[in-house]
Amino acid sequence: MADVISVSELNHYVKTLLDVNDGLFDLALRGEIANFVQNARSGHCYFSLRDDACSVKAVMFRTDARRLAFRPEEGMRVVVRCRATLYERDGAFQVYVNEMFPDGLGAAQLALEQLKARLEKEGLFDSAHKKPLPAYPKCIGVVTSKTGAALQDIRNVISRRWPSVRLLLCPVTVQGFEAARQIAVAIRTLDQSGKVDEIIVARGGGSREDLWVFNAEEIARAAFRCKTPLISAIGHEIDYTILDFVADQRAPTPSAAAELAVPDREEQQRIFENIEENIHKNIQKRLALCYNGLEQYNFLLEQSAPSKILQQYSNRLQQIQQTVRTQQKARMNDKSMQLQHAAALATSLNPYRVLARGYALVTDTKGKVCTVEQLQPEQLICVRSRQYQARCRVETVEEINESTQKL
Amino acid sequence: MRAPKSFEEGMDRLNAILAQMQQEDTSLADSVKLYAEAASLMQYCHATLEKTSLQIEEISAKIAETVEAPQEQEEE
Repeated sequence: MADVISVSELNHYVKTLLDVNDGLFDLALRGEIANFVQNARSGHCYFSLRDDACSVKAVMFRTDARRLAFRPEEGMRVVVRCRATLYERDGAFQVYVNEMFPDGLGAAQLALEQLKARLEKEGLFDSAHKKPLPAYPKCIGVVTSKTGAALQDIRNVISRRWPSVRLLLCPVTVQGFEAARQIAVAIRTLDQSGKVDEIIVARGGGSREDLWVFNAEEIARAAFRCKTPLISAIGHEIDYTILDFVADQRAPTPSAAAELAVPDREEQQRIFENIEENIHKNIQKRLALCYNGLEQYNFLLEQSAPSKILQQYSNRLQQIQQTVRTQQKARMNDKSMQLQHAAALATSLNPYRVLARGYALVTDTKGKVCTVEQLQPEQLICVRSRQYQARCRVETVEEINESTQKL
Repeated sequence: MRAPKSFEEGMDRLNAILAQMQQEDTSLADSVKLYAEAASLMQYCHATLEKTSLQIEEISAKIAETVEAPQEQEEE
């Protein structure tokens, strides 16, 4: 009978035996996943791999699990690269998984097509549900890796195009099977925060397998429920993920998403300056018009000013005065001429001048001229010549007989 | 006269002001008032366009802790 040994010694011995076997150190194993759990705190994954007849326990540590491109599901057929050995504490034979792949991408693609068809039928891709992006967002939610190139690209583009916006980053891992859940939750968190005007879900490049996570139904449903406009920016040009179909806008790259998300500062600057210029021009034109109008009134006012009217009347008055003077002068001349004529006539008719030629004039005693036939005998009269007068008494008044008159 | 809530609102208001100013029946006094309002809006919009530093904040996703592991092994 051999030596009595402890359990620890047994387990250690068996582990040593297994570990020296090269075939067990790095092997590819095909099987179906069962009882998959992930420890929330450590991130390590525990599950079984089985086939029709047997099963083996499996562990995938966090550092390896993080690189998973899909979420392992119950019953999923996978191929793993692993090392088979003994877990000494429990004496449990198990495999330590480094990498895990779906068993044949063909199967995964088929599942994807089925999911896509189902979601499409449910109306998750309907354009009627697509929300327009805000023209001038104030805050943009970003779901991406904190350390990835995608965030850097988004920052660069937005810094250039529209830096007045705020970015609210909800950091997630964008690879590994827990990524789907994190992304879905991040979308919901941002949507429900009420702080963001639109959301960008981004992943900068990667292989088809790396981006597979964005085909997750969980993300599709979160994106569909999201009330905030959502842009998908999964870094690939050719293939569409399911998220691309559900998103309100699909951008080929994170940079392109950032361009879609914000207006262009230079363009806005141009539009703004155009308005600014128009407003300035408008008020200037307006003022110019007013000044012109004022000028006109001023002119009219000057035209009709009292002084102007006075001037006009004054001018007219002067004209009239001139006319009056001219007419007066003309009349004076006329009258003066008439007077001269009259005077000349009067002079020529002056009876005293006749007296100078030797005639005499008969008057009564009061100097009134008398005709001879008016005289009465015994009447006192005056007979005057040019320089003398004689008081006389009438003796008789006789009619002179023409025939007896001696001439 | 209040400050606009956003660049968008500022631009919308500026457009409205311009349209109003362009109307023939807007009085000069109203035009001058509108112009004064436009001046402060233009200052705001200009400042928004001139702002160059992008602000980034973080929010953590609220993930409900539902996953549990039956046992814990140490990574080797």
